[in-house]
Amino acid sequence: MRLNEAAVFKWVVIVGIAAAAVIAVTLLTRPLWGALLGLVLVIAGCIYGYRWMEQKWRELGSKKLRS
Amino acid sequence: MESATVAVGHGHADHHGPPEANESSRIDRQTLGILLFIVSEVMLFGAFFASYFFLRVVVDPPSWPPHPYELPVAVAGMNTAILVSSSFTIHYALESIRRGNRTGLKLGLVATWLLGATFLFIQVNEYVHIGFSARDLSFGSIFYSLTGLHGAHVFVGLMLLSFATIRAFRGHFGPAEKDHLGVEVPGIYWHFVDIMWIIVYVTVYIL
Repeated sequence: MRLNEAAVFKWVVIVGIAAAAVIAVTLLTRPLWGALLGLVLVIAGCIYGYRWMEQKWRELGSKKLRS
Repeated sequence: MESATVAVGHGHADHHGPPEANESSRIDRQTLGILLFIVSEVMLFGAFFASYFFLRVVVDPPSWPPHPYELPVAVAGMNTAILVSSSFTIHYALESIRRGNRTGLKLGLVATWLLGATFLFIQVNEYVHIGFSARDLSFGSIFYSLTGLHGAHVFVGLMLLSFATIRAFRGHFGPAEKDHLGVEVPGIYWHFVDIMWIIVYVTVYIL
């Protein structure tokens, strides 16, 4: 799988869903809780994104070796 | 230097100009270029977000936005929906050209451009009617800085989409990966602009 637009589009969907969760929590409770949820999601997103990038890099590397 | 020697030594005695570039990268240079550019842009937006949170925490007004200012949350929410849907249309355009559907490519690109232009128009309209300027408190400054920075990125994205659309109507793109990089690279940039707006909207209008 290439590092292409389709892979980045997946991130638009992920960020959109995360933002919807933050908006829902903020409107239902207080902005502070929304901000805290946002912070947790940003940290989780960074960890997930780092692992995703590592996996992509490995896939691209093995593809390069095969070709 | 070594690769240049090897290239010359393999029977290209009549070769003129610089040697062929050594493609050692695991990713094509156009995609790598836009990804590195996006990394630098993330840092730029990060600086603006840091300023926003600094002002909000340090100034610590009794209410945010400070009285008597109000932000048009509903209109901005509708604008967010418009921009998010434009990510779907550019994705549709790229999926179309991957399957060799040129009509879908053109349709997707035109729809994306129109949605992006609508977003920008609504944002300018919001600036006209919002009732405060960048000179009104630190709140006004950071509001216009963050949304204006993003608006500038939307404008650049629209320029890139314009070039891609014109090329699509001239029949420049094809299903092969290397034949539609001219849409793929603006597409990646457009998704980045979209993600940034979602974060700006949640931070500035909702929290």
